[in-house]
Amino acid sequence: MLSYLVRRLLATLPVLLGISFVSFMLLHLSGDPTDYLLPIDVPEATRQAFRHAQGFDRPIMVQFWDFLQKAVTGDFGTSLRFQQPAGSLVWERVGATTELAGAAMLVAILVGIPAGTIAAYRYGGFVDRMVRAVALIGQAIPNFYLGVVAIIVFAVWFRVLPSGGRGSWEQLVLPALTLGFALVALIARVTRSCMLDALRDDYIRTARAKGLGETAVVLKHGLRNAFIPVLTVIGLQFGLLLNGVVVTEIVFSWPGIGRLAIQSIYARDFPVVQTIVFLSALTFVMLNLIVDLLYAVLDPRISYK
Amino acid sequence: MSIFERFQSGAIGLSLLMLAGLPMLSSAQSVPRAKTLIIAQNFDPQTLWPNGTTASTNLNAGAAVVEPLFWINPATNKLEGVLATSYTLQSPTVHKIELRRGVKFSNGEAFNADALIHTLGVFVDKVVTPAYSIYAAPMEKFEKVDEHTVLIHTKGPYPAMALALTQVYPIPPGYWKEAGPAKFGQAPVGTGPFKFTEWVKDDRVVMDRNPQYWGVAPKGIDRVVWKPVPDDTARAVGLEAGEYDIAASLSGAAVPRFQGQRNLQLYSVNSYRVFTMVLSALPKHQSPLLDKRVRLAINHAIDNNAIVKNLFFGKAQVLQGQVLRKEQMGFDPDIKAYPFDLAKAKALLAEAGHPNGFEIDFKIPSGRYAQDREVCEAIAGMLAKVGIKAKIIALEGGEFLRQLRTQELGPMSYVGLAPPDDPHFQLSQYRSDWRYTFIQSPELDKLIDDGVKEPDVAKRTAIYKRAVRLIHDEAPAVPMFQGLDIYGSNNRVKGLRPTGDQRLFLYGVSLE
Repeated sequence: MLSYLVRRLLATLPVLLGISFVSFMLLHLSGDPTDYLLPIDVPEATRQAFRHAQGFDRPIMVQFWDFLQKAVTGDFGTSLRFQQPAGSLVWERVGATTELAGAAMLVAILVGIPAGTIAAYRYGGFVDRMVRAVALIGQAIPNFYLGVVAIIVFAVWFRVLPSGGRGSWEQLVLPALTLGFALVALIARVTRSCMLDALRDDYIRTARAKGLGETAVVLKHGLRNAFIPVLTVIGLQFGLLLNGVVVTEIVFSWPGIGRLAIQSIYARDFPVVQTIVFLSALTFVMLNLIVDLLYAVLDPRISYK
Repeated sequence: MSIFERFQSGAIGLSLLMLAGLPMLSSAQSVPRAKTLIIAQNFDPQTLWPNGTTASTNLNAGAAVVEPLFWINPATNKLEGVLATSYTLQSPTVHKIELRRGVKFSNGEAFNADALIHTLGVFVDKVVTPAYSIYAAPMEKFEKVDEHTVLIHTKGPYPAMALALTQVYPIPPGYWKEAGPAKFGQAPVGTGPFKFTEWVKDDRVVMDRNPQYWGVAPKGIDRVVWKPVPDDTARAVGLEAGEYDIAASLSGAAVPRFQGQRNLQLYSVNSYRVFTMVLSALPKHQSPLLDKRVRLAINHAIDNNAIVKNLFFGKAQVLQGQVLRKEQMGFDPDIKAYPFDLAKAKALLAEAGHPNGFEIDFKIPSGRYAQDREVCEAIAGMLAKVGIKAKIIALEGGEFLRQLRTQELGPMSYVGLAPPDDPHFQLSQYRSDWRYTFIQSPELDKLIDDGVKEPDVAKRTAIYKRAVRLIHDEAPAVPMFQGLDIYGSNNRVKGLRPTGDQRLFLYGVSLE
């Protein structure tokens, strides 16, 4: 197990290096940040002085090597817009994004798994039809639209929840539900499908024949066996969620990484974008690793050597 | 217990755990909401040092703490002193500034001639303050006359000095030396009616009343909170829901929504941003536009009034056939826009050898300006009626700016620029050697050069009138309209006067 873990961790290094290289090159190909950072009508001498001070006039490979040397020490450079360390700018928003993504995932798990399980148990019935309909709607509605509708209904019409910002649990409710809604749909759909397969298996019939109660049959035997594909979806979606909070963060003025990423991309704030790309890649790789390790916990037949 | 009940109880339990575990991040509200002015802007500031950038979101928040020397009072449209009391021209190159007495920065440092000379030294440093170098470039040296008088020597006559002085925000020398530009921008110290309190990035900037403020503080406001709310709809509904007192940069969609709501007030401000359709007359941009008759034909083919009526609720200001706004020095009331006349446009095209029109690239920014794509699609539709097939090439904001700077936007493009509010800066864009000019005219160059050196207002006005007439006649652009900025506030807010450069000053604002 330990050697497997070490091998997997070592394998992340070339992945991170590759992603850093590709993103660095793509960012620099997208244009000179000076155009965004200075007014268009500043004298040319000022532009050149600024470019020199920021090191934009050096060959791109020299810039990348410089970035890499500093990045391995945890220094991702200074934000061109904020004139602060890019690492700390990103780090101070990690909590907000994790909180939102975590709450959305919790909503999705708390609603999606029971809904999918019940839909499979009551296959073809009213609940099943409702779950399928909601799953379809959930995956079809874009969350920028859902978010705006939620704001108008709950913040303007009923005035029961704030329209945005971060600082209290009330402010978390609408963005978490908006972000979680599509996930609820996805998790419910996958759970239902896996449970339908599991509930038809022989061991379920055996469990019932042994005289076990329905709760134990469904939860202990059915859900546990159906859970591995669901876990895979949760793991992958959580990684995507961290990157996909962008729209929700903008609509709800949530001070997270997604919003910073968009603004930094538009402003060509290379150090900040590079830091976010690196952190996102690292998070995604680590979540995949955690999911793989959890397989062994859930299914005794799986072991890593 | 059934399977449903187990799920239900589990879900409720987990939900309660989740809520209990949430961090309670609200800072203690020591100031009541009634005394707190909450302003929603579209972005979080990058820095609260006003001379750090020219972005209005930064300036609006920063200037509540770090005040300027002068300001253009939007109520009178006149230059008025803030930290300075007067500006006089001693000779064409010597400008005298008298400072307000008895003013201290909120950290106790004195505001005096030494502080201003230090500030001006920072202001002209093109590495530390590159964004303001267009204003600072003519300044040469600074001289202290006494504790409250400073002379600014310029390299030549500088008629736009008054405007430049509205861009100078005095900083306390001691704190600046200790903090440096980056830290100062995160925790500024100034002489303003508010003191910096807290900045939670991308969430709020909090400022509290400065009890030692030298002037008349905004009435009824103990705290100002600047909220970055990037989504246009969220900003509008947040104002409607009472979460914000002022919302800046509202989209046009907010106009019908807010009209008729008695507790809300809308402010439509004609922006200093001037939108033009560039028609390059440069030989490097080979196209039918090199023929002046074609450029004139396009001027006749574009119906600016229809664009403003249909896309800007009739509230944007149509330009009068010239690139200057009617409030600007040099605006010529005798010049009228080329009338919308398709027959005339077709006749001019036929005369120029294009009776069936032609095909041409039309470069436009995507999402950089309000309704930019819609405006350009309308333009393309109008040109199609005279046989010109405009092929729209939409460019991402950064690429658009790069192509503008390198003159790659020719032969035809849609541009909205907001240079500093002096005709020299507006007209310089048409000088032959300007990096994004689309015309070469020695005659126009001379007028621009004469105008910037002329201290006499009447003579300067006459020079600029000749320049705008020349641009009108040569038609290297279709002057279209001024941008429209929309703000909203609730009825608690009184005295708000947003300006055409997207500035929100708190002078004269009160909260009921």
